[in-house]
This record gives sequence, structure tokens and C-alpha cells, in this order.
Amino acid sequence: MIRFQKKNLLYKIYIWLPILALFISVFNEFDLNYLKIDYFSFNFPFILIFYFALKEYQRFDYFLVFLAGLINDTVVGLPLGLSSLSYILICIFATYLRNITISPNLIKDWFYFLFIISLINSINYSVLFLFFSYELDITLFIVNNFFTFLFYIVFSIFFKRYLKSLDD
Amino acid sequence: MASSRDDFIIAIRSAFLKKSTKQKFSLLTLVFFSIFIIVLSNFNFKAIDITKSIIKEIVYRSSFIVSIPENFIKSTYYNLNEYTSYYKDYKTTKEELDQLKSENISTKIIKSENEELKSLIDGYTITSNKILAKVIVDHKSPFLKSIIINKGSKEKIKIGTNIYDRSYLVGRVIEVNYTNSRVLLLTDLNSNIPVSITPGNAQAIVVGNADRKGEVRYIKNDLINKIEDKGIAYTSGTGSIFKSGIPVGTIDFKDENGKILVNFYSDFTQLKYVFAEIDELIPTNVQTTENISTDDSSNTEQIKLNLISDELQILEDSNTKYLEENQELNTLTNELNKQIEILKAENDLQKNVIQKHDLDKEEYEFLRLNLIYSSKCQSKKLFSTGFKVGTPEYRKCIMQRGKIND
Repeated sequence: MIRFQKKNLLYKIYIWLPILALFISVFNEFDLNYLKIDYFSFNFPFILIFYFALKEYQRFDYFLVFLAGLINDTVVGLPLGLSSLSYILICIFATYLRNITISPNLIKDWFYFLFIISLINSINYSVLFLFFSYELDITLFIVNNFFTFLFYIVFSIFFKRYLKSLDD
Repeated sequence: MASSRDDFIIAIRSAFLKKSTKQKFSLLTLVFFSIFIIVLSNFNFKAIDITKSIIKEIVYRSSFIVSIPENFIKSTYYNLNEYTSYYKDYKTTKEELDQLKSENISTKIIKSENEELKSLIDGYTITSNKILAKVIVDHKSPFLKSIIINKGSKEKIKIGTNIYDRSYLVGRVIEVNYTNSRVLLLTDLNSNIPVSITPGNAQAIVVGNADRKGEVRYIKNDLINKIEDKGIAYTSGTGSIFKSGIPVGTIDFKDENGKILVNFYSDFTQLKYVFAEIDELIPTNVQTTENISTDDSSNTEQIKLNLISDELQILEDSNTKYLEENQELNTLTNELNKQIEILKAENDLQKNVIQKHDLDKEEYEFLRLNLIYSSKCQSKKLFSTGFKVGTPEYRKCIMQRGKIND
């Protein structure tokens, strides 16, 4: 087991890993679709933000999440501020869930996540279609939504291990 | 009931307003800030545009640096794939190259002719200066298909500038910054390309399908039948969005939903370098030397006369050719008529033989029946029920197998 010395650079990088991962993912806009599967895509930032906002991770600064949203908009070409709004809304919903939950349950969180991403994707679609006249394929949104929902459970296992390693 | 509502309000208020020790802003502030930015970015104020441009410059450059490792992995994977089919590709490419070389010569001739004629018509020549641009960000979102190139307004790139991969169309510029610009790819749902489809010369619009192909839309129903599988789609130049005559892709009828698709020539996932075409209007000699109009106008007239006389010569040549062809065809027609007559005579002869054969057959039948039924049909002295031998009635009776009364 690797143990980090506190104040070590590697340790600092390790504790800031969620934010780093968030920024790398928005800069790359990666969806792991190297196999060129038709329609396959998922939103990694949504999973990451929801999980760490739900667990109230100390290093997960909302302002940095907001900045990541701005970068995502610029890279993807969406109207500036739209992704920031989506990310902050996820944080709000996650915080609300945390406040009302006494005993956390992964399956309940998972379905609550589905509800949130569906709502946020609907808002995104409506705003882009109605106010910015973007031509969008709703199938892509639904598929993206579905895969994001599926992958949440996979990533949450990794994130849980990560948080546990920090506690240790 | 009241306490649960209070809990709900407390939870909501806490989610929106409560800042934990590490947070600099509350979530409500950030929500308002996001909405403020969305609204603000829609106004075309100079200060906002400059700020947006600076943010984009920084983000695109950073994105390029951050995506270096990922791009390296991707390119290694694609390279490995390429090596496996290297020899096969080499052979097909060689064949294609030979063909293209021969086509290139004729294209050059047509191009120069076209330029000459355009300069005569407009007095202006559009010089196309293609500059090489590097793709710095190609992370296409599932919803929007665009790339960022490292050439911007500094290199005279404008909104609408056509972007090519070799000589194939890739897209057009939709956003220009000082040193970079965003290109909307043909596969994007918002991309509409007016095209001509050959053979059939059908005019249509190709719309991106957010995947790897385009879909042919807005075409007249009666023209759909004229389109063939593997037909070529090239830009028609309608609407002046794209220049005319740029190859776009080939027609593909394989879609299950009955849609007519277009396979783009270029693979948009493999773009590393592209060409941006910068158009400049340069007055031709005809326009710039307007002051010495007498000499020039006579020159122009002379050129026009030469062109017309050339055209006349071509027409005369083709006319003589047609006349010769016509004569040849006349002789051929005469020969064919003769052959038809011979065949007709042969036919008549064969008909006669067949007829005779039918008669012989009938006579033979009569004789055969006569042997059997002659006693029934012959006339007798006491009871005259029969007929005299040799009369038509007798023959009829024999043929009816001895039945006297019909």
C-alpha cells in the first residue's frame, strides 16, 4: 500500500485529484468513445460533481466547479455559462439530498442522480433549442443520459475507494 | 405536517445559502452568476466580445496542451491500425494516384479556361489562397461537431471561410478569434450544404446527422429517382455559403429508414491539418487599366472576337462530323431495308409450304375415313339416303364420320 507523507507534492496532487480529473475531463471533453460506438457517450463531469458534492469533500470547491463549467462551454462551443449552471444545479441537488438523508444508500443516490441528470439535460435541451436555436438530436441526449446513469455506479465504487484511501 | 415543511425549507435554504469553511461562494451566488453570464454573452458589446475572445484564446491553448497525452495515445492506436493494412492501402493508393494524375491534367486545363472566362465576365478574379492550419482542439461533443484551428483573424480568416481536408470540404468557420477559430463540421446537425448530385444533376441540401454521415434533404420527389447509389455530391454554390464544385461525398442508399445518406470523403475524426481558403478580390488587367480604355477595349474586343471565331470553328467541325455520321447511317438503313425484303420473301415461301402441308394432311384424313364410312355415305337406288361419290355433300358426310343429317 502506498503511503503518502503529508506536505508531499504527490499527496497534494492526490487530495486535489477530483478537481484535477474534472478539469482534465472538461479540457478534453472525453467520453471514452474510442471504439466509435454509435450514439455512445456519457457525461463524466456530472458523475464526478454529483458524487463529491454529495459526500461533501472538503477540496471540492464550488467556484472551481463553476470555472470548469465555463471551460467546458468554451471547448464544446455551447453558450457561455450554460454548463456552469448545470454543474452548480447538480451541486445544489446533491447538497439537498445530503441534508435530507440520515443513512446514505447507494441505490437511492443512484436513482436520485438519474432524476437530476434527466432534469438538467432537459433544461439544457430546452434552453439551447428555444433560446439559442440549436438543432439538436434528442436521441443523443437520451442515450447520453442513460449511459451517464449506468456509469455512475461504476465510478462511485472507484470514488468510494479513493475517499477511503484518504481516510486511511 | 408543519414540521416536515420546515425541514424541507431548512434543507433547501441550507443547500442554497450555507457555505462550508472551504467554499468561497454560496451556490445561490454561483447560480445567479451563471445566469448573468448566459444573458451577458448574448449581447454584442465590444468589451464582452473581447473578454470572450481572451477566454477562448486561453482555453483553446490550454485544451491543446492538456489533450497532448490523450492525443498521443489515440494517434498511437490509429498508427498501429494503419500499419496492419499498410500494403493493401499502398496498392489501392497507387492505382488511385495514377488515375488522379491523368484527371489532374484535364482539371488544370478546365481551371485555366474557367479563370480566363471569369475575368472576362466580371473584371475581377477571385484568387484563392489556401493556408495550412493545425487542428488544436478536436474534442467533439456528442451534440456539437466542431474543431478549433490555429488560424484566426490575424491570417484574414472570416466567418464563413471554407475549410478543406486536401481538396475535400470539411466545414466552415463559425467563430473567429485573433489567433484561432472554430470550424463547424459538415456532420453537425446545424450544418446545411447546398449540393448538386451527379449523375442526374439533382439539387439538394445535405444536413449533418450528428454521426459520421450527412443526410440528403429538401429534394424534389421526381428527382429522387434520378439519384444513383455511389453518385457524387459536390457543392452547388447556392446561397454563397460554400464555393461551387467542391467534392463533398458519395451517395449511400444503404440506410434502413429509407433515407438517402452521404458518405463524406474526409474522415473528420482523423483531422490533424486542414486548409483554410482565403478569398481576395483582385482587379484584373481589364479593370485596373481602365484609363487607357481605347487600347484595352479593342484588346478585349479582339479576345472576344477570337473566342467567338473559335466557337464558330468548333461548331462547323461538329456540324461536318454530324453530316458524315448522317450519311453513314443512311447507307446502313438502306442495307437493312434490303435485308428485310429478303427475309419477307423467305417467310412467304415457308408459309406456302406449311399451307400445302396442311392440305395434304386433310386429304389423307379424308381417304382414311372414306375407307371406313363410304358405305354409309354412298347413295342407294331404293332408299336414297346417301350422296353421290365426289360431291361436296359426300365429302362432308365422310368427314363427319358417316353422319348424314347435321
